[in-house]
Amino acid sequence: MSQQENNIVYTQKNLPSKLLTIGVVILIVGLVLAGASYLIDPVRASFNSLISMMFGLSVGLGILFIIGLEHLTGAVWSVPFRRVAEYLGGILYIVPILAIPVFLNMHGVFSWSDPAVIAKDHVLQGKVPYLNTGFFYIRFALAFIVLWFFFTMFKRNSIKMDSNPSESYVKSSKILSAVMMPFFAIFTTIMAVDWLMSVVPRWFSTIFGVYYFAGSFLAGLGALTLVVIMLNKRGYLAKGLGGDNYYSLGAFMFAITNFWSYIAFSQYMLIWYANLPEETFWFIPRLHTSWVWMTAGLPLIKFIIPYIFILSQPSKKDPKRLTIAAIMIMFGHYYDLFWLVMPAYHKEGFFFSWNELAFPILLIGATITYFAIVTKNKNLIPVNDPKLPQGINFHL
Amino acid sequence: MSVDVLHEPSVIEGRPTFHEINEHITKPTEVRPDRKYMIALAITSSLLALGATCMIITHWYGIGMWGNNNPVGWAFDIVNFVFWIGIGHAGTLISAILFLFRQKWRTGIARFAEGMTIFAVMTAGIFPLMHVGRPWLDGWLFPYPNQNKLWVNFTSPLLWDVFAVSTYFTVSAIFWYMGLVPDFASMRDRATVKFKKVIYSIFSLGWRHSNRHWQHYEMMYLILAGFATPLVLSVHTIVSFDFAVSILPGWHTTIFPPYFVAGAVFSGFAMVQNVLIFVRKIFNFEHIITLDTLEKMNKIMLATGMMVGYAYGMEFFIAWYSGSPMEMFVFVNRAFGNYAWAYWIMVSCNVIFPQFFWSRKIRRTIPLMFIIGVFVNVGMWFERFVIIVSSLSRDFLPSSWAYYTPTFYDIGILLGSFGLFFTLVLLFIKTLPVVSIAEVKAVIHGSQPTHKGGNH
Repeated sequence: MSQQENNIVYTQKNLPSKLLTIGVVILIVGLVLAGASYLIDPVRASFNSLISMMFGLSVGLGILFIIGLEHLTGAVWSVPFRRVAEYLGGILYIVPILAIPVFLNMHGVFSWSDPAVIAKDHVLQGKVPYLNTGFFYIRFALAFIVLWFFFTMFKRNSIKMDSNPSESYVKSSKILSAVMMPFFAIFTTIMAVDWLMSVVPRWFSTIFGVYYFAGSFLAGLGALTLVVIMLNKRGYLAKGLGGDNYYSLGAFMFAITNFWSYIAFSQYMLIWYANLPEETFWFIPRLHTSWVWMTAGLPLIKFIIPYIFILSQPSKKDPKRLTIAAIMIMFGHYYDLFWLVMPAYHKEGFFFSWNELAFPILLIGATITYFAIVTKNKNLIPVNDPKLPQGINFHL
Repeated sequence: MSVDVLHEPSVIEGRPTFHEINEHITKPTEVRPDRKYMIALAITSSLLALGATCMIITHWYGIGMWGNNNPVGWAFDIVNFVFWIGIGHAGTLISAILFLFRQKWRTGIARFAEGMTIFAVMTAGIFPLMHVGRPWLDGWLFPYPNQNKLWVNFTSPLLWDVFAVSTYFTVSAIFWYMGLVPDFASMRDRATVKFKKVIYSIFSLGWRHSNRHWQHYEMMYLILAGFATPLVLSVHTIVSFDFAVSILPGWHTTIFPPYFVAGAVFSGFAMVQNVLIFVRKIFNFEHIITLDTLEKMNKIMLATGMMVGYAYGMEFFIAWYSGSPMEMFVFVNRAFGNYAWAYWIMVSCNVIFPQFFWSRKIRRTIPLMFIIGVFVNVGMWFERFVIIVSSLSRDFLPSSWAYYTPTFYDIGILLGSFGLFFTLVLLFIKTLPVVSIAEVKAVIHGSQPTHKGGNH
């Protein structure tokens, strides 16, 4: 609409300095715990580090996808949240650090990297052209370079618009988003196959990339929703946000919760029904040891509870309930990743101790610290985005 | 070319008055069919007659009239079934899912696409009924207590198909009819012939365009959209289960459910686009079914086409990665074996040609988009052919390998299915408003309620 009045009420405010303190404290606690955990049992710590990395990557991927989707579809409701996403998505820069413990314990985590294991297994011998450490490192590096490139470009375009409100940035982001999508699909799949599926190197499932994508989309939405609501409640974002903007976040969480469940059900049902030993062996420890309780909890935590919780229209608009839903969804995704990976480390049954908390604490601390540092003296909304007024006045 | 980023093209071009909209949309139903229409109907009904003849002969002599052999027990019958079910998906996606996403551009095409859904599902439904071989026993597909104590096999996805497709058909039909009620009322008010007036009165259920009617209508529409969304996804998911729950290499793969749904939307959009190109031209609906709308459909085809391409790639990769010799054989055989020609038709039509839609110019050039749409439909038909026939013709026992060739009756029934579908489409065009009159009025520029000086 041409005669849009610019009624944006926004003043740039710095986040409280205690946020940085909190972040650093959590980070230090996480580092100490993670270090202690590593000294006690490096392989176990590496597994935990892997899960945290894949979780952090999920959040980053999810947020990158949300940003890309906004540009691609020309959505307006998410424009006021985009700057938060652009800072929060910086988690993509952090997470590769969590791969270090894994790199130091490749044989312990990825049995295919051990020539002694390969020598005894003719199926794994056939996979060597893909599953070999050299190519594995290359794919890892390539994936992050590509994701960083797109993320950085989106962010740069967006921040440049703050000082130079030119539509060319909107257009260039739009083209970038379309170009990104195939790369995004390929590298999300590669990361899922390499870092989650190949933990059990004989197992395979064609839907696995989509499975990880669905979970990542959820994790990204959860993280964005949580941060946006916390900031908006305290007035760090533009005045008048909420209502239908929140509703859209809630509706997306609801939809993707269903999407994940659909994918997860399809994978499980088809493997269960066909009952082929080369696929079902992956589920055996998850169904015939104490892992079964975690298996039973997965649909509850990642589908049924969030489904009922976000189903109603008012709950999609209520910041309190959305906050709970966002936390639930992120917890659910961590739970899912733990369930995907850990039975490979410990087939005998479920286990849990402070060791399993070390790396998530480290990740949370690092993310808060990073967020507090990068947002210093910065706008938290894309102040001059031409779509911003529409986004703030968004009504269904 | 500079495009204003804020400029959202109006769903309806120009600012026609409400009366003009009424006149325009109801016109095809109120004038006598012209020569062109009669020729079109003659062609489609001839095809239908050909198909019906082939079906009757098949019915009389049995499905030995088809090219199906051992081991290719499923062939054109199931290929056509999956193809037509897939065509139906675009309608529900446009009418329900895009509605939930508040995409206003769906307005001009939703009615037509929904109608096509219903006709496509009807066409699809014929195939499994014939495929069972003894169509007079089809009643047994429905589980009901009986003296013979015979029950259907509840663990078979073929039975789930019966439930999924019949539920989907029912909900689509209700959804479609619901949307038609206000338009039936408009037609009733316009009707000059007594006979027409009575019929439209009955179908309009006493609709008076009152505020209360509209409130109920809106609420009901939203609820039905909410129901239809998981339903449409479930239908093709269950169709994919027909294959994926088996242990046949090339059929059993976990990506099948989302891959089939993406493929269904892909081919469905291609079909809707193809038909709409004619409809908007013949009935001068260019300002209602705009070029922008067609461009958006082409974008969706590009996106879903790439999803399908992703699935092809992933299947191939995992066939190798799995280390299963049978899986590897099947995929190499698909690409380089006896049905390689079908495989490469599929890949080029579904993955390569849609890439032209990256170009804005091609997305907005009607003849080119039409050709690509046709290719997509051909490709998607061949996709099902490749999955079904190539996997079966080279199954576990090399001594029984066989090549499937369709007979005259196979091809006749395939053509007949197009005849049935397009005959129904043509009849629909002449009897019902093909665009939702009520909804179009709501999206004309300037018709939305505004406050604060028209800011929203």
